[in-house]
Amino acid sequence: MASFIERMCLYLVLVLSVFLSITQAVDRSNFKTCDQSAFCSRQRAMKPGQSSYTALLETLELSDSHLTVQLLNNNNKVLLLLELYRLQGNMTRVKINELKPIKPRYEVPDVLITDPPTELMSVVAQDEHRVVLSLGGEDWRLILSAQPFRLDIMEGPQVLLSLNSRGLLAFEQLRIRKDTISHKISSTVGSMWDKIKSVFSSKSQTDTEEAGEKEDTEKHDKEKVSEREEEEAEEEVDQPGMWEETFKTHADTKPNGPSSISLDFSLPGVEHVYGIPEHADGLRLKNTDGGDPYRLYNLDVFQYELFNPMALYGAVPVLLSHNTHRTMGLFWLNAAETWVDVSSGQGSSEVPQTDVRWISESGIIDVFIMLGPRPNDVFTQYASLTGTQAFPPLSSLAYHQCRWNYNDQEDVSAVDQGFDEHDIPYDFIWLDIEHTDGKRYFTWDNNKFPQPKDMLQGLLDKRRKMVTIVDPHIKVDSSYKIHTEIRSRGYYIKNKDGGDYEGWCWPGNAGYPDFTNPEMRKWWASMFAYDQYEGSMENLYTWNDMNEPSVFNGPEVTMHKDALHGPWEHRDIHNLYGFYVQMATAEGQIQRSGGLERPFVLTRAFFAGSQRYGAVWTGDNAAEWGHLKMSIPMCLSLGLVGISFCGADVGGFFKTPSAELLVRWYQAGAYQPFFRAHAHLDTPRREPWLFGPDNTALIREAVRQRYTLLPYWYLQFYHAQRTGQPVMRPLWVEYPEDIATFSIDDEFLIGRDLLVHPVTDERSSGVTAYLPGNGEVWYDVHTFQRHDGAQNLSIPVTMSSIPVFQRGGSIICRKNRVRRSSSCMENDPYTLYVALDSQGNAEGELYIDDGHTFKHKTDKQFIHRRLSFTANSLSSSDLSPDSQFPTASWVEQVNILGAQKPDAVTLTTDGGESSVEFEFDPDTAVLTLRKPGVNAGVNWTLHLR
Amino acid sequence: MFPNCSLGHCHIIIAVVLWSICVDSRKIRGISLSYKRFYRERKSFLCIDGSKMIPFDQVNDDYCDCVDGSDEPGTAACPNGRFYCTNLGYRSHYIPSSRVNDGICDCCDASDEYRSQTPCQNTCRNLGQRERAEVEGQMRVLGEGLRLKQQLIEEGVLTWREKQAQLRDLQRVSDDLQTQLDDLRKEEARRKEEADALREREIGARETADNSPTSHYRPESPISVFKELDSNRDGSITVDEVQAKLSPVQDEEHALSEDEAVALLGGVHRVDLSRFEETLWTSLRTGDNVTIKGRHGVPGSLADEDPNIKAAVSAAEKAAADLKRVEDAYETVYMEIRDLREKLSIDYGSEREFLFLHNQCFQLKVHEYIYELCPFSQVTQKSASGEVVSLGKWGSWAGSPENQYCQMRYESGEPCWQGPTRNTMVMLICGTETALRSVKEPSKCQYVMELQTPVSCQPALRQRGIHSEL
Repeated sequence: MASFIERMCLYLVLVLSVFLSITQAVDRSNFKTCDQSAFCSRQRAMKPGQSSYTALLETLELSDSHLTVQLLNNNNKVLLLLELYRLQGNMTRVKINELKPIKPRYEVPDVLITDPPTELMSVVAQDEHRVVLSLGGEDWRLILSAQPFRLDIMEGPQVLLSLNSRGLLAFEQLRIRKDTISHKISSTVGSMWDKIKSVFSSKSQTDTEEAGEKEDTEKHDKEKVSEREEEEAEEEVDQPGMWEETFKTHADTKPNGPSSISLDFSLPGVEHVYGIPEHADGLRLKNTDGGDPYRLYNLDVFQYELFNPMALYGAVPVLLSHNTHRTMGLFWLNAAETWVDVSSGQGSSEVPQTDVRWISESGIIDVFIMLGPRPNDVFTQYASLTGTQAFPPLSSLAYHQCRWNYNDQEDVSAVDQGFDEHDIPYDFIWLDIEHTDGKRYFTWDNNKFPQPKDMLQGLLDKRRKMVTIVDPHIKVDSSYKIHTEIRSRGYYIKNKDGGDYEGWCWPGNAGYPDFTNPEMRKWWASMFAYDQYEGSMENLYTWNDMNEPSVFNGPEVTMHKDALHGPWEHRDIHNLYGFYVQMATAEGQIQRSGGLERPFVLTRAFFAGSQRYGAVWTGDNAAEWGHLKMSIPMCLSLGLVGISFCGADVGGFFKTPSAELLVRWYQAGAYQPFFRAHAHLDTPRREPWLFGPDNTALIREAVRQRYTLLPYWYLQFYHAQRTGQPVMRPLWVEYPEDIATFSIDDEFLIGRDLLVHPVTDERSSGVTAYLPGNGEVWYDVHTFQRHDGAQNLSIPVTMSSIPVFQRGGSIICRKNRVRRSSSCMENDPYTLYVALDSQGNAEGELYIDDGHTFKHKTDKQFIHRRLSFTANSLSSSDLSPDSQFPTASWVEQVNILGAQKPDAVTLTTDGGESSVEFEFDPDTAVLTLRKPGVNAGVNWTLHLR
Repeated sequence: MFPNCSLGHCHIIIAVVLWSICVDSRKIRGISLSYKRFYRERKSFLCIDGSKMIPFDQVNDDYCDCVDGSDEPGTAACPNGRFYCTNLGYRSHYIPSSRVNDGICDCCDASDEYRSQTPCQNTCRNLGQRERAEVEGQMRVLGEGLRLKQQLIEEGVLTWREKQAQLRDLQRVSDDLQTQLDDLRKEEARRKEEADALREREIGARETADNSPTSHYRPESPISVFKELDSNRDGSITVDEVQAKLSPVQDEEHALSEDEAVALLGGVHRVDLSRFEETLWTSLRTGDNVTIKGRHGVPGSLADEDPNIKAAVSAAEKAAADLKRVEDAYETVYMEIRDLREKLSIDYGSEREFLFLHNQCFQLKVHEYIYELCPFSQVTQKSASGEVVSLGKWGSWAGSPENQYCQMRYESGEPCWQGPTRNTMVMLICGTETALRSVKEPSKCQYVMELQTPVSCQPALRQRGIHSEL
């Protein structure tokens, strides 16, 4: 087996020396810097200064929904059209496109969940220099300045944000290639010339200039063409890389020529900006002056480096700014390759300021300015545009066991058995690419998995589930049904010459279905039907990997930008591809159950809006302490831009973790949203019981802690789905006025009530956790020790320590009877942890539904209750009286942290009053109420007297 | 495998059974007979670890009061509790409390799912029957295996003795050869000395004679012949010179062809003195093919002239040949001894029961690969295309200290791409025949094989049996 894989790998190395290099870290030369990207270097060469654009106020039109005005480029006289929308929920949308492009420019579809509802805008004042618009309220204003063009959003006298204040608006209009005429005259010579050029295209244009007589003809023709243009505008000289570009050995023909766009934003008073994932970097964005900008271009990066603005697997072009007064967001809706420059410094009058500049290769400028003002307002605003996190099946919040690869059915069953033998719960076991017949997705290797349904039934009997990988590269093989169907239906992405695009990936030569085509997505979804995907059952879910898309022999290990998706170039849609793959897959899972069951799909590539379709993981990390640490800011950044269901491969994908690192990773992963262990094919086995009984016990304990908290995780995802609030949050989101929290990314909150500071250092003897909140208290969830907020707390740690604190003032429901899988715990009773604040109050919620269907939505089948402790009474009241769900769960125990000893405790329900036994531990100030026994879905009150 | 039913244990069970008949006790769910005494119905219940006293009606009331979990043997309330599956007709055993009423049938008597919707069947009878059949089968295999093992051990003893005898014989041969060698070395040296001395004397005589004009002889060393043939005195002999000066022995009038001349010079067109000595000089000395024109006889050969010298030289040559022959024989024996010692130094088990595996190989085809295990030697994998990859060479026994002979480790096979070298762990299991049963690769390039063989049958297993509370 190994030798076959090895030979394949060696073969790949030979064929694709680009991809599988034997280096230990990322081979940076495989990926472009801004300098190596023609449009980025062109745009970045433009320095701040006077903008060449003027707003032609005489063209201004104001309708009910929006305002339009033309912008004139004074250099080339090209006209742009600016559209301004005031959106409901305190947002402004700014769209800029060419007024009359010679052909349409790409506008990103399907990401916005709806055409954002607008609100009336009114002109407050106008003269020949500017127009002042009201954005509602007393003092919200938008000032449109004409010469040079600029937009300022004001609150009273304060500028919140300015557009084009540094004059970096640049819009490369679509144009006819100037050598087109000469090309027609001497097509034979021309094509010869093209060949010569493509051979030498990696060299500089000096080669071009030396080309001799042909060049003279061209120049002559160029002059003729430009004569007409010169009457109106300065001649625009073609720059290198405008009409074609070569990176390494890959030529990018650019039949549409230059089309990039750029715009700058200034944020006065802002020192902290976040977001624009995915990068392996800290939570707070760094200054990019003097280095490369942050890059957004979905790429399969082999062994990625930490602390680096290089592009990774996914892209969400959303940036958040934050200071003690206000949080705002910028959503740059563009799916082409994008670079973001961040520059912080002193603005005018010594106020700190952050300047942000976006550069994209094609499409239009379409930016949403989310004005907050509080962090949760920005989340709500962004959610109103792109939707919220899909509410996952409860079991998908439990523990996932993955490896490349579980070899065969016997292996799966042995691992399953291993978990039972070692009494470690798990819900999902995963199969990577080796489970297929020759990397033909939707199939099974007949030798290794002869009876997939038996295997799935075996898991089902244990109330467990499985995930198989389904990647979007399709083996070109005329005997493979999926391939022949896609080919015959014409669903493949086309190459620049109109044939089916083919590239190398796991199966060898592969085609890439055009997921931007709704017909294709519909067909793809239908492939998940039980009668189509042979061997599948209702407990089989899906993993979409390699959907950047990864093309081993493509430029930067991805698709050629001149490949075609119908009328659009891959250049235009690149960052959307993975989004669509997951969308179609999730849809398939919904459809196979007749619309009843919630899907679970994991994706590696993503875009704005991907949160609607499932979970995301941080790709191929490594078994290193730095990668463990990095999992926190990476998932925090994703949470800030709507993608809450995030996790990193526990243990690290590449390389082999020490037992200590593995244990620490389990401890951290148990408190991150998506909790899955994964390992590379070449690494030794690392199931939790392979590191001696002590480490097995440590891992078991971490996983068990996860399971006890599943009701809390589920509640957080219920909220995320309803409100768009991130599940895993940076501290500043809940403590927006506490500057000390602004740069913290080694600890985080789950919801509002749990603060986690995982141990991420080797041989650590202690961590220092910042407990926020002046006047607040925090309780150690393990010892119930109480600590004051607004302090740095030194916590000594041992190998078993996972520093976690519950906020005073909160009530958390747990299920302490940890069983084999989360499904087995469905009817189990709850234990309530009531952590009193300094006033002796606490509040929390409980959410219960069937855990896997849409009935909570379609039939209002759920329980949502408020738990409130005040004036020595703990009561449960209905937050959603019009919904119903029968639950067998009941209240087993109540622990009140920071309590005093009562004389008696009574329980009041509809059925009457009864007394409740209790115990009080004066050392920890924990009052334990024994077995109130009341059903979790009814009203009740516990009185402490 | 099977819980021990030692004699003492059975006594306790019997005692408890008797006692429980005498003491009226409410049925407490999830406990074994041996624990029943802790659950005698009284007013209160003392947690088994003695940590707490609770009212008896809080036993199995679905709330965990005791930190040791002892108050809830029949529910899932305690995180560390355990539930006793009585499993009448089959083996009784404990399951973690968390498996009580979790919707999965764990006890074959269905006792763990008394309050779940999952309908569990009582399968103990079937399981018991099946297991008894299995165990009987196993016992038969074990009996047969042990019998075969005994044979193999006996054979092993014989083989071992044989090998030891072989070693001793070889040692003896080696010693003899050693003695011979000593003698022959002396003899060879003596003969050589004699021949050399005679030759020196003769050369001295000829040199004296040579100075006289009447001499027939010229002392002919390679150098002098070389000089003679090297007409142009450039320090080398060329094809032209050979053709000019030499002729075939049979026909002095006939000239040598260029090819013949080149052949005489060892395939080249020009030789220096040292190459000359290796090539043409040798031909001239044998005198079979060519000779120097106008000259008879073989140059440099003193033996031709003097029968004494001839005899001495031939004696010396014979002595050298004898020595060489015995040296070769000694070398062969030495290697054999070394190989045998190496084999004999391997640990073949406490009774050398694994000795018979030596020099055997076992194959198993798994999909497109053929795996071959040659115990105490190596493991290989052969692909359909015929490519053979080493999965490890014999390393060591790798079982636990109690039973180190249940696993073999083969290491340092072919290196993996980007990884360490391949290695194989061979698990030995009891069976009536010796065969490779399975091959797996749980981690990449780490193979696990199962080798079934009678010699891995352990008599200890026999004492275990089915333990069921009928």
